[in-house]
Amino acid sequence: MGIISLEKQDHLFWLGRYCERVYTTIHTFLLGYDRMLDDDSTDYKSICKILDIPDIYKDEADFIKTYVYDGNDVNSIFSNLKRAYDNAIVLRDEISSVSLSYIQMALDAMEEYSKEPFSLLQLQRILDLLLAFWGSVDVYVFSDNSRDIIKGGRSLERLDLCIRLGYPAKRLTREFHMFETRMHRLSAQQYNAEAYQQFCSAFQKSGDLKKHLVLLNQIFVRR
Amino acid sequence: MQNLVEHTGKINELLARYGVKFGIYKEHVFHEQLFPFDPLPRVISKEEFSLLEKGLVQRVDALNAFLRDIYGGKQILKDKVIPEEFIFSSKGFLPQCDGFMPPKGIYSHISGIDLVQAKDKTWYILEDNLRIPSGASYPLIARKLCRLASPETFTKNHVETNKNYPVLLRAVMDNVNTGGLNVILTPGRYNAAFFEHSYLAEKTNSVLAMNSDLFVDNNNLFYRDNSGAAQRVGAVYRRISDEFIDPMNFLPESLIGVPNILTAYRSGNVAIINAPGNGVADDKGIYYFVPAMIKYYLAEDPILNNAPTYLMFDAKQRKQSLARMDELVFKDVSEAGGYGVVFGRELTPDKKTELAELIASQPRRFVAQEIIDFIDLPILDGGKQVLRKADLRAFVLAGATTQVWPCGLTRFSRNPTSFIVNSSQGGGFKDTWVLSL
Repeated sequence: MGIISLEKQDHLFWLGRYCERVYTTIHTFLLGYDRMLDDDSTDYKSICKILDIPDIYKDEADFIKTYVYDGNDVNSIFSNLKRAYDNAIVLRDEISSVSLSYIQMALDAMEEYSKEPFSLLQLQRILDLLLAFWGSVDVYVFSDNSRDIIKGGRSLERLDLCIRLGYPAKRLTREFHMFETRMHRLSAQQYNAEAYQQFCSAFQKSGDLKKHLVLLNQIFVRR
Repeated sequence: MQNLVEHTGKINELLARYGVKFGIYKEHVFHEQLFPFDPLPRVISKEEFSLLEKGLVQRVDALNAFLRDIYGGKQILKDKVIPEEFIFSSKGFLPQCDGFMPPKGIYSHISGIDLVQAKDKTWYILEDNLRIPSGASYPLIARKLCRLASPETFTKNHVETNKNYPVLLRAVMDNVNTGGLNVILTPGRYNAAFFEHSYLAEKTNSVLAMNSDLFVDNNNLFYRDNSGAAQRVGAVYRRISDEFIDPMNFLPESLIGVPNILTAYRSGNVAIINAPGNGVADDKGIYYFVPAMIKYYLAEDPILNNAPTYLMFDAKQRKQSLARMDELVFKDVSEAGGYGVVFGRELTPDKKTELAELIASQPRRFVAQEIIDFIDLPILDGGKQVLRKADLRAFVLAGATTQVWPCGLTRFSRNPTSFIVNSSQGGGFKDTWVLSL
């Protein structure tokens, strides 16, 4: 439709963030899972630390099950997918039934997997559906502004996670440039331009970017 | 058709994918449920639809004339065609709307008329829904999937297209739009029909809005966009009940309404679809008088029949009805969704006495109807065809002209002994084919 309210702008932004959070945390989890199997059974604690989530898990086995499939754990991948859905469901007229259907299918699949005998094989389907969602956004979200807001949320989330996960400078620079490109497409009225400028300056100076995550997360906070 | 039937599972999977669900509250907890789709359509011949079409247009035109009159000169009361008590004691009559004519004099833009077909093939009107009837989106999306599932079914059978519903709905909105956006106002995602609200917004290219997106300034309704600009709204297809739509004019505790929207409407600056106050015309007590309205306003005989109905307000009819409780169904006029419907034959002697006393103390609240043994339609149950009760909700759209959508929502009971077909009570739905040849 194109004409959106502030509330819908928020939903678009958070839809982008949560979809990316699910996608990237699945990858992060799978990398950590691999290490846990081979080397260090307490590595899950470092995953909790870098993702800034409380270690409420009894042990490695509990973490593996709960963090992925427990919809009652507010920090789980399942819970983040539910939040993506909560934002998507009110945006059908903006993102189209086609795009919404990928989030619906991912949620339905996750609900089903959470009841099945435990396995991580099914996560591939969630990743596939999220990638299909992003492809659909390009085709079926007709308003440039709405598409830029969703992708702005996605880009911000990815940058946030890359900083938290300690990605190398080259990768961070790439993510930062993608974020900058996205931000340039938005009107300055749609975000906190001051926080954005401050974050950009901080990024150029490098240093400990984790200290500037608060600033990054203020960019889309309504003033 | 066999090919279509073989794809039942796939069609239902795709309906789930597109979120074709309805919400219900059980013990104050919200649940979303899939609306089970049965691929065997209800088939209406061209001739039969032609009769239904004439009868439905006639009925809705008379109901719109009644609403214009009742909120205007009230001539029908002066002429004693309908007793005043039925108007002024109706919860649906809104004094706040009295003396005001909505844009183009249309009150019921989208009417959902519930019908059943008796075993002798006679159609009976069971109920008029003139407030916020829902259900058109379900056969609309289901037909699209059925066509994908089985092209030969649709090349061999000459079925009128139903994909024009969004076009008809958009034309209805544009017809009364006073200048500005078309908006679909939803109470939010936890409403039972939220799928429909969002789907119709997408398909009609309207803005789906919550109350917090709208405001009234200087008797005009505006949508505040994300740049902070106020966009004028010309028509609101509201999916919120009258009592909640405006806390300044109706229930002050409503958190889902738009303050002063009624004032903007009364100033002629925005159209509300359907108009507030329509409840006075779809009250099950007023239903009794619709045939008389048709004669009064249109000088025509009704084309479609009401189910034989008795007013408990009338002492003689009450006495006769209570003497034959086992043969009748009693309905609370203010209930909907299959609730407040009591079959006399299912009551114990004590419960019958209790109901008779309640009716005697509040006669205006009840009507009695003959039980129409309406036809059973085949549905698939575990791969086998079984027969179940089904009704039809026809959608009549009043814009520049009054038109009947050549489709409709056929709802069926999944319980073999039940006459209640409502989705909230476990029913499913079918497509409704109107044949073009």
